[in-house]
Amino acid sequence: MVGKDCVAIASDLRLGSQSLGVSNNFEKVFNFGHVFLGLTGLASDVTTLSETFRFKTNMYKMREDRLIEPETFANLVSSTLYEKRFGPYFVGPIVAGINSKTEKPFICGFDLIGCIDFAKDFIVAGTASDQLYGMCESVYEPNLEPEDLFETISQALLNAADRDALSGWGAVVYVITKDKIVKRYLKSRQD
Amino acid sequence: MDIVLGIQVEDSVIIATSKAFTRGISVLKTTDDKTRVLNDHNLMAFTGESGDTVQFAELMQANIQLHGMREQVDLRPKAIASFVRGQLAKSLRSRKPFQVNVLLAGFDETTNLPNLSMIDYLGTRVDLPYAAHGYAAFYTMSLLDHHYRSNMSVDDGLRILKMCSKELSTRMPIDFKGLYVKVVDANGIREVDFE
Amino acid sequence: MSRRYDSRTTIFSPEGRLYQVEYALEAISHAGTAIGVLAKDGVVLAAEKKVTSLLLEQDTSAEKMYVLNDNMLCAVAGMNADALILINHSRVIAQQYLKEYNEEIPCETLVRRLCDVKQGYTQHGGLRPFGVSFIFAGFDDRYGFQLYSSNPSGNYSGWKATSAGANTSSAQTLLKQDYKDDMTLEEAKELALKVLSKTMDSTSLSSEKIEFATVKLNSKGIVVHRIWKPTEIDQLLKSTGVVGDDDDEFS
Repeated sequence: MVGKDCVAIASDLRLGSQSLGVSNNFEKVFNFGHVFLGLTGLASDVTTLSETFRFKTNMYKMREDRLIEPETFANLVSSTLYEKRFGPYFVGPIVAGINSKTEKPFICGFDLIGCIDFAKDFIVAGTASDQLYGMCESVYEPNLEPEDLFETISQALLNAADRDALSGWGAVVYVITKDKIVKRYLKSRQD
Repeated sequence: MDIVLGIQVEDSVIIATSKAFTRGISVLKTTDDKTRVLNDHNLMAFTGESGDTVQFAELMQANIQLHGMREQVDLRPKAIASFVRGQLAKSLRSRKPFQVNVLLAGFDETTNLPNLSMIDYLGTRVDLPYAAHGYAAFYTMSLLDHHYRSNMSVDDGLRILKMCSKELSTRMPIDFKGLYVKVVDANGIREVDFE
Repeated sequence: MSRRYDSRTTIFSPEGRLYQVEYALEAISHAGTAIGVLAKDGVVLAAEKKVTSLLLEQDTSAEKMYVLNDNMLCAVAGMNADALILINHSRVIAQQYLKEYNEEIPCETLVRRLCDVKQGYTQHGGLRPFGVSFIFAGFDDRYGFQLYSSNPSGNYSGWKATSAGANTSSAQTLLKQDYKDDMTLEEAKELALKVLSKTMDSTSLSSEKIEFATVKLNSKGIVVHRIWKPTEIDQLLKSTGVVGDDDDEFS
């Protein structure tokens, strides 16, 4: 979600195999420098991709002597996913971050083969994406300050997750501003 | 229908596996050990497609022992978990994937902490205080949710395991011929008397 | 006569030598000196940069110091183009290890893997060996701070203080004289600069002629390595007083 000079990214913490809940501390948001990546979908691919992107961004960091920017990273995600066009990773990625040079917030989402979905307000993904669309459409407003953005994204996630049997079991929210990153864990229903 | 259970207690991990080796409706063996020792402080328990399981377990065992010899230091539990997960994730997208689910019980000698990792054939890995694969999970998770405490001793852990074993005996459709129980701690891996 | 044994890397001479490897070592002995000093709380790398022309762009990034991963650095003595190939290779090895085991590669493992590549070029024929010696500085939780050096033959060894490149023998002698066990990082920095100033052709040290890097732990116990910026090097030179007969002494 985009706010005024800030972005936020959040995910639930559940990992399950079908109806059985397996873990309530499986984080799906990863950061590579100041760029954040949310990965929903097949847990195996979530882990594999997070490791792959750590590899690629570390190599980028050493080659370029600087951290990767959100826009660049979005294209890296896209090409990495499209490389497996005919045997894709089963994931729904989201990228969020603030460009350290232009200081502009950036968010985008992808389908499983890497088609980028640019947005200026919000991006959703996962089993509760329908519910999240509903929440975001009604709760979101542009140019929110970081604290208000935190409240908005948290409410959107929590209430959407409560209407989805496969989501929830706690949540994590990152609020990203130019020079500060705040990570907060949310308590939620454990059923 | 194989049973594989793991409980992490304060300074060790308990692993329990069913003794029955079944094919279809027949029990072919009553002393089947579904674990392999990876190194001095790491044990792997496995279930899945028979044939794949032992092949995979021994492949991992060989790789981890090879690493130990080359580097003159044993891999730590989290590194092993990461490695095994990677192998399963790679296998998943191969021509014939290993259909193996594993539990890794380990004790990290550098941090002095026990570790229990659960990995399924897809390459999904989670580190958990207690874990089970397959149908056993449906019958035991509620008991473990209720009775588990993170600061338990091995004896406390074995007491919960007893409850799990009893529940499984009453609910499982076939006799699983009892459990082999092993404990991984600072001193290494040992089998304990159960029943 | 020697023509018979030095046209291929894979052939031993009758005296049991590999000429191509020795020529590579010879090439390195003309390169700028690189020095590494191990301290109890860190590692220092310092290197002489040979300024070939005044027209050369100086403000671009370091050319003899390279980051290998989050806890290792290396200094290069020898042919830079060769070094870049090996450095990229070792970065990939380090990242592959990180991806496979989710922990940083142990220093010695990375050095050994890189030396395996170097060794390959002394045996599998037709190609010349890499004309580079490295000095590696790093940290891992098994052995703490470490310092290694490697040469074109693929041999590597661990050191308390070492050097590579031009005047390496006199640098080693100076290091042997002044090295003390349980040195601090500050003392190690000074020692490295002092030795470098004595082995260099030019008498005056400045950021234009040297490169500098350190590996240490921060207050949270996390490894931090840094390739120093020119201004920081000048500042260090001033504060340690190892500035040679520089013109500002007369001004």
